[in-house]
Amino acid sequence: MLNQPEFADDILALFAQRNARSVDIPVIQPADPFLDMAGEELRRRIFLTESETGISLCLRPEFTIPVCLHHIDTASGTPQRYAYLGQVFRQRRDGENEFYQAGIEDLGNDDVAAADAAAIRDASDTLTSLVPDANLQTTLGDQTVFEAVVAALGLPDGWQTRLVRAFGDAAQIDGLLQNLSQPAARVPGLDDAASALLAKGDEDGLSALVDGRMKDTGYLTNASRTPSEIARRLIQKAQLSSAHLDPKALDILKTFLALDAPMADASGALAAFARIADLDIAAALDTFNARVSALEENGFDLSATRYRAAFGRPLDYYTGLVFEMSAQGAVLAGGGRFDRLLTLLGAQTNIPAVGFSLWLDRIATARSAANGGATR
Amino acid sequence: MSVTIALPSKGRMKDDALSVFERAGLEIASIGNDRSYRGTIGGLPGVEVAFLSASEIAREVGNGGIDLGVTGEDLVREDLSVVDEQVDFCARLGFGNADVVVAVPDIWIDVDTMADLGDVASEFRHQHGRRLRIATKYWRLTQQFFSAQHGIQVYRIVESLGATEGAPASGQADIIVDITSTGSTLKANHLKILSDGIILNSEACLVRSKARNLDAADEKALWAVIDRVDAALNS
Repeated sequence: MLNQPEFADDILALFAQRNARSVDIPVIQPADPFLDMAGEELRRRIFLTESETGISLCLRPEFTIPVCLHHIDTASGTPQRYAYLGQVFRQRRDGENEFYQAGIEDLGNDDVAAADAAAIRDASDTLTSLVPDANLQTTLGDQTVFEAVVAALGLPDGWQTRLVRAFGDAAQIDGLLQNLSQPAARVPGLDDAASALLAKGDEDGLSALVDGRMKDTGYLTNASRTPSEIARRLIQKAQLSSAHLDPKALDILKTFLALDAPMADASGALAAFARIADLDIAAALDTFNARVSALEENGFDLSATRYRAAFGRPLDYYTGLVFEMSAQGAVLAGGGRFDRLLTLLGAQTNIPAVGFSLWLDRIATARSAANGGATR
Repeated sequence: MSVTIALPSKGRMKDDALSVFERAGLEIASIGNDRSYRGTIGGLPGVEVAFLSASEIAREVGNGGIDLGVTGEDLVREDLSVVDEQVDFCARLGFGNADVVVAVPDIWIDVDTMADLGDVASEFRHQHGRRLRIATKYWRLTQQFFSAQHGIQVYRIVESLGATEGAPASGQADIIVDITSTGSTLKANHLKILSDGIILNSEACLVRSKARNLDAADEKALWAVIDRVDAALNS
């Protein structure tokens, strides 16, 4: 067990002032929710073991998922603000395998702009009090704006979801844009019977065809994808492969993704972009501007903050805001909105959620650097 | 000091490896009886031969337990975490050819590429209340291919230690990642390989560990083996 950093109590005191209730999360967690939510890639980076009864367990690799599960299990009403501070365990090539994180998860606040602004403000205030001279830089992104741009370009749904899914992963986005600039292609890999039905757009016929083949081959039709699901997606796919972006639309997307502006100019830059590109993204811009206003209202200093249009996280539970705060190249805090997570984890109703996490090991390094290495 | 070379201890792999060494003029004599797991090479007194299972060879060459080994590229790339820092592939031996592939039920007529699979995976939870399941023994190769190369983040791996191709039909998994040489087993189980679903063209390789520093004499003995195998392959 590592000792708590000496500034841990300061953080908890500040969180308490911000009406966040401290929550205890066990170190040993069931691994499935993490692997289900964050994907198998996480497996290499967590400390995994198996119980005697065959249940996968892991050392807590982060707090957001267990805090949300705790919220669901205890059926605490919303809104609810949870604060946590504790060790997390991850296999890292650089840095220690165990380190402290602290943060706040704000669940169920319907005033999205105010909640977003509060998360940014709380993270920034905590960092400023811990590392006063850190020259903190904040980067902010917003998936909602990207989603609106993609929707306004009039691409079929399937393409929109592909692009949104890749948001934040530059290489994947590039690959998709490349594909979208290709002229329409036929759907490959189909036999004559399926092709004929597809050409007629006969969803029921396709479904019957798949159903028949499943029965012939002895597949359990209820275990995985159903015939109607396969037929429906085949028709959708035919629409996808016939869609492509003309050079102008492609140019608009690339221009958008290259947007990188000081926060004070971001609203103006986005409005100008929408006007020049002739896209109706007004609703998303309203959300964006409401957040900017909320930040100004709560006294957050926008001068050291940039908006980067391509900044996002390519996991399906993240939704709107993402942000990161760094000093001297080290990320000290990361946060964002994850409106889809609680329902994915089993909540019965939609619960809007936003939060942030502080990297206490990096904060300790930044503090000792600021003190000329005097403390440790 | 001496150097240790590991060869597969049984089956086709063993026979094929021995025949490559024979063609290279490296006569391997078992120590003791025919079934012994240790041997020597005629004319190279500083070289010891160990017969191990192919997957042990992959692991041992990675951590420096042996200097040189003959094993499948798939096993090396699956077992070692930073393969390029741990080993050198000295020669491809021309046997044990097989591909590690992504295969889906052939009734998934809407799925032909990894991009299609990405669409299916992203919707899977919404449709079925769980993530897409992949049966495989290749955890690492699967993760690298799906997550890093194709940006598919959400799926679950179901460990499969044998008869992987049966998993989709029995409902244990939706798709598989497996090794295949002719594809006939996949076909017999109504599976098809995605058009861009070949993860690795594997074959038996002569693999050298980077984990050990050898003295000049051992280095020379090791290179004598590598050079002769190389020459035999190119003749």
